[in-house]
Amino acid sequence: MIVRGRSISKGKARGTVLRLKGAFSFLGGVDGATGELRVEDGGNVSDRILVFPMGKGSTVGSFTMYDLKVHGKQPAAVINSTAETIVATGAVISSIPMVDSVDVGLLRNGDDVTVDGNDGTIEIHNVRPVRCVSSVVYVDGKILMLRRPDSASSFPGVWSLVAGKVEGNESTDDAAKREIYEETGLRVSSHSASLGPIFVRENDVIWEVHPYLFVHNVSDVKLNKENVEHLWVSPDEMERMNTVTSTVLAVRELISKLIP
Amino acid sequence: MYLSRDEEAVLSGKHGESAQKAMELVVALGKIYNAENLVDITSAHISGASYKTIGDGGLKYLEDVSKDAKVKVTSTLNPLGMDRERWKEMRISPEFAKKQLRIIELYGKMGVRTSCTCTPYLGGNVPKFGEHAAWAESSALSFVNSYIGARTNREGGPGALAAAIIGKTANYGLHLEKNRAPAVIIDADIGNTLFDHSLLGQAVGKRIGSAIPYYRNIRPDIEAAKTMAAAMAAAGSVAMFHVEGVTPEHSRYDVSGLETIHIGKKELKDARESLNTADDIQLLAFGCPHLTVREITEMAAFLKDKKKRRNDVDIWFCTSSEVRSRCPDQVKILERFGPVLADTCMVVAPIESNYQRTGTNSAKAGNYLPTLCSQRVMCDDFAKLMELVI
Repeated sequence: MIVRGRSISKGKARGTVLRLKGAFSFLGGVDGATGELRVEDGGNVSDRILVFPMGKGSTVGSFTMYDLKVHGKQPAAVINSTAETIVATGAVISSIPMVDSVDVGLLRNGDDVTVDGNDGTIEIHNVRPVRCVSSVVYVDGKILMLRRPDSASSFPGVWSLVAGKVEGNESTDDAAKREIYEETGLRVSSHSASLGPIFVRENDVIWEVHPYLFVHNVSDVKLNKENVEHLWVSPDEMERMNTVTSTVLAVRELISKLIP
Repeated sequence: MYLSRDEEAVLSGKHGESAQKAMELVVALGKIYNAENLVDITSAHISGASYKTIGDGGLKYLEDVSKDAKVKVTSTLNPLGMDRERWKEMRISPEFAKKQLRIIELYGKMGVRTSCTCTPYLGGNVPKFGEHAAWAESSALSFVNSYIGARTNREGGPGALAAAIIGKTANYGLHLEKNRAPAVIIDADIGNTLFDHSLLGQAVGKRIGSAIPYYRNIRPDIEAAKTMAAAMAAAGSVAMFHVEGVTPEHSRYDVSGLETIHIGKKELKDARESLNTADDIQLLAFGCPHLTVREITEMAAFLKDKKKRRNDVDIWFCTSSEVRSRCPDQVKILERFGPVLADTCMVVAPIESNYQRTGTNSAKAGNYLPTLCSQRVMCDDFAKLMELVI
């Protein structure tokens, strides 16, 4: 799967992801002669696709990256959510490919990734993208939540919106209406709000989720076998349920679009 | 980002590998800050001159980049890790000295002027009002933004060097008129000494972070502005300031409606206490930023008929080689107390090998001595510190 980011430093490299959780300083964070990390769980940055949210610390960190390069211990490439001066400078002067504006939450330790610093993209070779829809059915200020069976293959036991995969050549809008009808028996008309896709990583799949909101006036739900339980909840109640974080954020944004 | 045909040609490598790399770096930094284009610069000031701060990685970088790079604009260099003649007096190791001298040689090879000071604006590198520049060294760039009205962002060392090589930098931040407006008024009620102004900068930097302040009720001269700018940039990351009735751009902006912060004697006392962690000293170091002719003259007048009594304390006076050569008689007086060192300072020299407790009259040094040099610090007025040893 290819994810579009922004080119910071040119060049192209393929390698295995080493992901650091926090903001990272090359000065003090890594040994410039050996590539050994002095932070988090340790490990060696040499030849890895080094992934972290953003750089921090002393500007000398740019030269630590150059030191790694001199010793042949530099990372194969760098991916950041947000590039800042120190790491960007280090990457450019050390000719290490670098891409930013990528959600680093999509990447896992051990992923097989190609970073293309020329066109600003990354390709994650060991995941496949699946397009799906996730819809808020909104009746009198309440949101319809469905609980997935504990035996479900993805997100088992989790409360979710009305969600499902996009099939064949259908539009995401049509897919949303079809899923609502199949899973709840409700026939909704055109949507009242929508968002651009949200990406969610689950094992070897990255879900490309298209969020919709349908205002409706009937709350008589007939579940099919895909879900075991349903509830009508207020937005506040929904935020306290066992659900996926990105769902909460999407619902907030969809509802804010509804009230001008 | 928009690049002209000439700039694209540099980026594609038509003018050599070093120019290409430099353009890549300037463009990458421009992207991060959403610059729309590049602007021509007339001047650059480069940090990363001390072997202590850049290490072997930095030295190797300079070895490589200097193979075919030449700077296109007036470029100066920040202080070194030692006085290049008197390093033995500073108890610098021969290995350090060898690498430090190599660093100067490499910058010189690229056409960078190797008089190494944090006050290049006092002579040698003086951009004009409205000109674009690429300066590293936080105190110097704040001074030229504020007192001269030249336009520069807070560049890092490699970014400033890259800009010097291609003669351009990315057009964002303080290069744009709209970003030079003050964000907060500082109503200052302080004494008239240099040290008061240093503490004022300290208190303001801590309080406002990276904002642009607009000062009222002070009239800092060059020396006071220099120490204030340095303290603001070290305690916070202030890159520009206005002073009512003094700085060239202060009247361009409407300041009505801005929040006013009062800084008086209490705030100065707090700032001073926050910097003091030592109750005795092994080294007294002055000249952060580098001493001017006037400061050296005043210090010499103060010390003329006095004698140093404590032999367990070393004293350093730090300035540029240019300033040192301009006041030989006063330098002679100071030399009775300690070396007048050129083109280095207590922050970028490896003083931690020989000292643990340092006294300074600079709030900037007060911020950096604990972290960069592992020192306990005594931060006070010049005369008060000297009274400990005379």
